[in-house]
Amino acid sequence: MKRRVVLVDDHDLFLSGVRAELGDAVDVVGQAGSVAEAVPLIVELDPEVVLLDVHLPDGSGDAIINAVAPERPGVKFLALSVSDAAEDVIAVIRAGARGYVTKTISGPELAAAIERVATGDAVFSPRLAGFVLDAFRAGEQVGGDAELDELTPREREVLQLIARGYMYKEIAARLHLSVKTVESHVSNVLRKLQLSTRHELARWATQHRLV
Amino acid sequence: MSLRAFAPSSDERVIAGVCAGIAQTLAVDATLVRLVFALLALAGGAGILLYLALWAWAEGKRVWIAGLAAFLAGCALLGALGFSGRSVTGIALIAAGLALAWRQGGSFHPEAPLSYGGIALAALGAVVLLSDGGTSTALLAPGAVAGALLLIGGPWVWRLAMERDVERTARIRSEERSDVAARVHDSVLQTLALIQRDAENPRRVASLARRQERELRGWLYGDQPLGDETASLVAALEAAAGDVEELHGVRIELASAGDCPVDASVQALVLAAREAMTNAAKFAGVEEIDVYLEVTDDAVSVFVRDRGAGFDRAAVPTDRKGLAQSIEGRMERAGGRATIVSGVGGGTEVELHLPRESS
Repeated sequence: MKRRVVLVDDHDLFLSGVRAELGDAVDVVGQAGSVAEAVPLIVELDPEVVLLDVHLPDGSGDAIINAVAPERPGVKFLALSVSDAAEDVIAVIRAGARGYVTKTISGPELAAAIERVATGDAVFSPRLAGFVLDAFRAGEQVGGDAELDELTPREREVLQLIARGYMYKEIAARLHLSVKTVESHVSNVLRKLQLSTRHELARWATQHRLV
Repeated sequence: MSLRAFAPSSDERVIAGVCAGIAQTLAVDATLVRLVFALLALAGGAGILLYLALWAWAEGKRVWIAGLAAFLAGCALLGALGFSGRSVTGIALIAAGLALAWRQGGSFHPEAPLSYGGIALAALGAVVLLSDGGTSTALLAPGAVAGALLLIGGPWVWRLAMERDVERTARIRSEERSDVAARVHDSVLQTLALIQRDAENPRRVASLARRQERELRGWLYGDQPLGDETASLVAALEAAAGDVEELHGVRIELASAGDCPVDASVQALVLAAREAMTNAAKFAGVEEIDVYLEVTDDAVSVFVRDRGAGFDRAAVPTDRKGLAQSIEGRMERAGGRATIVSGVGGGTEVELHLPRESS
């Protein structure tokens, strides 16, 4: 059963490129080029996964997530962007995206990421793993919920290996874990990233008027 | 103008409800307002004229009637206060000049012309006022004249200042624009030209595009200016990665957590990392290399990883200098170490580790 996917990006050239790269791996049911277009389309089509550009002409990707989530809580979002600004990425993740990949990702890798997101797992590119490690650096905790504001040593190890370019399978082998365990560590990190009130995250969120 | 409009009160009115309306707006007792007007009425009928003026103004029609009535009220009041006819005429002329000036161009609109008629009237008024020898005006006159000049000339001066501001903003904008144009020319346009020339070579095109993307992104989203590789280790590694990409047609994914300035030993780390990337690009036979930089309080680590051919360390001839000198020797001299993990068919990872001086 192919995943039903909606693409949201304002660059037609890029959209057709992604469609071609994905080929038959997924079922692209619709596409939109702006926030205003995307929200009603996603609500109507109710896809499994939305591939979302972080920057759109009339707003940012997190605006779509915030508008769609109350009506279609089952839709999963995967951010796909060229933007490397940490705050943009963190903003869209905190709005509820299940992951972030850069646009240089290959077709098969993207298809795998869509599948992973559709089943409820998180997808971290090396770059996102770096951002998260940066935001959760040791010794800078300020108040808040300690459980949410700290990464466990194991989570840190997993993220570090993702940042170093290791696949989940390779990480599992290296740390003597199952792939499922690695996945659950990553999902935990995603949850912390979305819920933590940690100083750096709060700062990014404030800059982008998310709070 | 910040005058609060008031509505004549229809509930508590005695004549037209003006006093009650004022009392409501100012939140004072209506009797008090009426008393003030009654006293003013005794001063040559000024109170009556003022009442008429306020009524006409509140009704919202015949603004000129309101103005005229207020004007006459002022004259009556000044006369009643003992000013000579001459000084009243002078003040009246100044007031008329002011009114004209403000009507014509006194609004703070940048396009408004300076009102010469208004200035002439006010000047005439000033002359009349100053030529009056009466003691009652000796103190008042210079102040009135100065005030009039300020009210007429002020907006004009202010306007000039505004214009200069607008001009300066425009100049800054055009400077920024040419700065952007210069950067775009040096980077993006050059790259596009190279891409057109090398259109037959897809690898070269891809690496050119990628290098340009990295550079542009660093400029758009990064804090450091383009090409400044001394302030930031991330920027220095990006530049090194860009060079390797361009030279060898590979893709390098750079992830980072933290950053630090580049001193001599960090520079050695950058060169070692560059050598590791070059080795991976040349020998691993892969299209993508992952590089991860981690800066903590006590150490800087760089990981260069490929999923390529890998090699057996024991089988590397000792005269091959890349690994031993450019990477391991360099890191040791800088006070750090290099760890190379590789196996035939299993890819290679070079880990560079440099302790940081306590800061």
